Amino acid sequence: MKEAYVIKAYRTAVGKAPRGFFKFKRPDELAAETIEYLISQIHDFDKTLIDDLIVGNAMPEAEQGFNVARLISLMGLKVDDVPGVTVNRFCASGLETIAIAAAKIKSGMSDCIIAGGVESMSYIPMTGFKPVPNYNTVSKGKEDYYWGMGLTAEEVANQFKVGREEQDIFAYESHKKAIKALENNKFDSQIAPITVNEVYLDENLNKNERQNTFKKDQGPREDTSLEALGKLRPVFSATGSVTAGNSSQMSDGAAFVMIVSEEMLKKLNVDPIAKLVSYSVAGLPPKIMGMGPVKAVPKSLKQAGLKMNDIQLIELNEAFASQSIAVINELKLDKDIVNVNGGAIALGHPLGCSGAKLSVQLFNEMKQRKLKYGMVTMCVGTGQGAAGIFEIL
Amino acid sequence: MNKKISKIAVLGSGIMGSGIACHFANIGVEVLLLDICPKELSDSEKNRNLSIDSKEVKNRIVNDMFNKCIKSKPSPIYNKKFIERVTLGNFEDDIEKISDVDWIIEVVVEKLEIKKTVFDLVEKYRTNGTLVTSNTSGIPIKLMNEGRSEDFKKNFAITHFFNPPRYLNLFEVIPGPDCDKNVLDFLMEYGEKFLGKTSVLAKDTPAFIGNRIGTFGIQSLFHQVKNGEYTVEEVDKLTGTAIGRPKSATFRTADVVGLDTLCHVANGIYENCPDDESRNVFKLPDFLKKMLDEKMLGSKTKKGFYKKVVGKDGKSKILSLNLKTLEYNEQKKVNFETLNAARKVKSRAEKFKVLVSGDDKASHFYREVFAKMFAYVQHRVPEISDDLHSIDSALRAGFGWKEGPFEIWNYLGVKEGVDLMKRFDFEPAEWITEMVSNNINNFYKTNNGLTECYDKNTKSYLKIPGQDGFIILKNSTDEKVIWSNKEARLIDIGDDILNLEFGSKMNSINQNIIQALDKSIDLAESSYKGLVLGNESPHFSAGADISVIFLAAVEQEYDELNYFMKMFQNTMMKLRYSSIPVIGAPHGYTLGGGCEVCLHCDKLIAYSETYIGLVEVGVGLVPGGGGLKEMALRASETFRPNDVEVNLLQEYFINIGMAKTATSAYEGFDLDYLVKGRDNVVMNKKNQISIAKNVAINMYDMGYTKPIPKRNIKVLGKQGLGMLYVGADSMLAGGYISEHDKKIANKIANVLCGGELSQATLVSEQYLLDLEREAFLSLCGEKKTLERIQYMLKNGKPLRN
Repeated sequence: MKEAYVIKAYRTAVGKAPRGFFKFKRPDELAAETIEYLISQIHDFDKTLIDDLIVGNAMPEAEQGFNVARLISLMGLKVDDVPGVTVNRFCASGLETIAIAAAKIKSGMSDCIIAGGVESMSYIPMTGFKPVPNYNTVSKGKEDYYWGMGLTAEEVANQFKVGREEQDIFAYESHKKAIKALENNKFDSQIAPITVNEVYLDENLNKNERQNTFKKDQGPREDTSLEALGKLRPVFSATGSVTAGNSSQMSDGAAFVMIVSEEMLKKLNVDPIAKLVSYSVAGLPPKIMGMGPVKAVPKSLKQAGLKMNDIQLIELNEAFASQSIAVINELKLDKDIVNVNGGAIALGHPLGCSGAKLSVQLFNEMKQRKLKYGMVTMCVGTGQGAAGIFEIL
Repeated sequence: MNKKISKIAVLGSGIMGSGIACHFANIGVEVLLLDICPKELSDSEKNRNLSIDSKEVKNRIVNDMFNKCIKSKPSPIYNKKFIERVTLGNFEDDIEKISDVDWIIEVVVEKLEIKKTVFDLVEKYRTNGTLVTSNTSGIPIKLMNEGRSEDFKKNFAITHFFNPPRYLNLFEVIPGPDCDKNVLDFLMEYGEKFLGKTSVLAKDTPAFIGNRIGTFGIQSLFHQVKNGEYTVEEVDKLTGTAIGRPKSATFRTADVVGLDTLCHVANGIYENCPDDESRNVFKLPDFLKKMLDEKMLGSKTKKGFYKKVVGKDGKSKILSLNLKTLEYNEQKKVNFETLNAARKVKSRAEKFKVLVSGDDKASHFYREVFAKMFAYVQHRVPEISDDLHSIDSALRAGFGWKEGPFEIWNYLGVKEGVDLMKRFDFEPAEWITEMVSNNINNFYKTNNGLTECYDKNTKSYLKIPGQDGFIILKNSTDEKVIWSNKEARLIDIGDDILNLEFGSKMNSINQNIIQALDKSIDLAESSYKGLVLGNESPHFSAGADISVIFLAAVEQEYDELNYFMKMFQNTMMKLRYSSIPVIGAPHGYTLGGGCEVCLHCDKLIAYSETYIGLVEVGVGLVPGGGGLKEMALRASETFRPNDVEVNLLQEYFINIGMAKTATSAYEGFDLDYLVKGRDNVVMNKKNQISIAKNVAINMYDMGYTKPIPKRNIKVLGKQGLGMLYVGADSMLAGGYISEHDKKIANKIANVLCGGELSQATLVSEQYLLDLEREAFLSLCGEKKTLERIQYMLKNGKPLRN
């Protein structure tokens, strides 16, 4: 088999949804401009060399519909030559596309692919606009196939005995780590700056225009405290422990990487960043989808021929504090290497983008720390887990 | 006076100011609500580096007060959307905006000097001819008039609202000596027609009418019970619903209002009424003074005449105060023979006669209470009002009494009231003695459907003004009742329109009411132009009679239940598809079966305070009288091409599944129980039936044609069912509903979606009615449903099982 190398990796700052700084930024534009930025970072690059654009997206409809990947390609690359495909594995979509790209290159089907993901939760609600559960299925007691994710977080909290206080502490620490990372400008070099043009009516109903460029994640809250978190009411269950404070934030964001074959690497004469060693997905009961990594991680380790101890840094998507804690406990992860710069509870979780976004963060942090093996893993809706292991070059 | 009010200014945003602002917003008036600017920055403002001149700081007081008001419960506003009709501002930046309002209402602190400063400001910016009124409850108008311009005085009066302005109906209007007669007439009419209040003309005397008599009543009771012969709970039992007063009666009301407030008003009357023959009643008895010292002020200090404590078992209970020792004890059950005897009597007049003629402690209590009250009110004419009906009106509208003092006296007879007074050494006033010697034994009588009241000046009965537009069912003479059964009367209200008046307990829908509805339509169709469904009870109808359903369900008489439900449904369809216009006049509780009756009318003329909803889930059932059918139909009518229909349907599903009840007629539109563009809201319950009647006439005159039953109702089948099932399951998983709730919810879903159809399908009303009845009957066989019904019958509130 051939080798596949990640040579460029960028993400946008993540905005809060539905009222954050990207609320007026359509997801197709957000992704297109991220890709434009990525390309601009390669000297004298011939865009027609790109074989395909693979875009992860969890709710591919409305502004994200119409095979948004193809539209993003046309809008961002401004050539007709590069096709596009939209891929959906909910919260793992952004990692899934990297795996698909790597696999295609390794098998010789392609030489250069841009892969990643985009999600605007400001534009598209979590369940999409028209959820139509299958009556024949749900009437047989399988309503949980369509449960909101919050309920599954409650289920995990109950089954794996994760208490409210523990969840709030986890959330608090996520914010603290993220704030520290922002203060130290940890993410600056990985961010594609995005400009938002807004035509709006001012308080006197006069038409106005403004333009802002965003480079810093919007989610982390300096003013959060255990006390404030403790006061929040559970949002998914009358008797539960999962609150808006200890759940991931709704977000808008995009992240993309360029993956190339050995030949292309030489042709472009660039330094590789990383390569994907293994990628695995696994299924489990939908009610406890939050435990997905517990099944996917061992599979991925086995595939890579590595042990848990070999993994030096982990990005575990913080869908909810309850499932993150339960996963850390079950897999006996070393807490000190998990989400060192904070996780989705603080930094946000733009569903289909997150897998790529976490990969971008992982590459940068590992490079700084000069580490070799790192992992991105997440739980995925309707009872799935995904885990990918990267080797930093 | 052809004045139009489209914009007003309210100066002062305290509880009353904000409440008044909300009520004007309720009726569609644009409101400018202003208050003073703070003198210092608050801590949080300092932290945020705000300056004292910033708009946010300057509006802080008005913002805080208004926000507190709109969050209070029960809500001061009919619909949250109406809040935008109120603009907030401050006296420094926004006072000049009062130049283009139609009416300025002053509601600032009750201090003459402050009011005068505000009036100076008003005078500076006000446009000549603009109405100005004060909501003072104590400051004489002559003092407020000092230093004011001629134009101001001409347009100035006191308009005294009661708290909370939305809910209490008394609107006292007190003109100053220079007030233009047109202004006064306008205010009186506006209060009734637009604000939906009972306007009462009062004189510029301390505390006006309502508070003067009301405070006398409560103070006189305080003195009567100060020696501890009656317990707090006994007094409340005796002075509550037993005599047609609010359930909170005397002491509970005092706790809610606050003892300090009550004493403040009493002191004011004592100070300002040196010639009152019962002045000493307004002096505080010793136990009250002690309570004030001990800060036992009621709800606001968490202890008053009652105190809530948590017992050893963790359950909270309410202790009552021993007036002698001022200690709190457990409440004892109150039982009086006289009350039991009175409960059995239906006629109001007879009831009061029973109350004062017994031998027990209760009856003695009543004799003393009424003797004192009669003695007091007889001397207030003409001091506080020239006519006695204004005094009764004020107590009814402002204090929620079913009858005012003269009406109670009237029940007993004028002479009998005099005898009662004499037993307690009170002498009748001259005009009363005169009535007795002239053998006039009534203060009130009805003549031709209108109420007349004795006038002491002319010594004759005069028609109470303002009734001309009203239809008063209770005054209907027998020959106007063209048909009746045990629990309903069909009344000819003139101009070929009939009114069906329900008269069952809580106006619940039972076999008699259904029979009456059926008969009414037959009779109306045969020789009348239209039918109104209206009544004068506190509530239109609290729902179907579940006791009958319960008995049949327990006996497993499902055929009988099916027959009853089928009859109910058929009558609803007959109502909907009759050849005459049927106008519903809902007010108060309009729940379950009562709501279903309204859903099948051609048009609703709803009183603004209408609490409408399909609440059957609370008793473990689904709407069975066409309610579900009708909501499926209404949902289907909202569908537009390419809509995501299930999302729309889901709103209806949630409203019924969660037994949502509108907290005003305007909220009823949001729930689609009232139909936008078709149904109307009236502000004053008194003219509801006459308006409904006129609407019926109009509909007839415009050419009313019997509608054709709908056969093209779009139901979603399995396409919708899946989502609704998942919704119910998620609610269960989240612990918001019980297993049984989910079962009921799924049944509701099934009817709303037209059953397990493979795809969206057009169906008829009868198809849905059959599904609905089937769902209803299947739940009647459920143990948990029976438990719910039984619990409701026993405790008057829903059981969650």
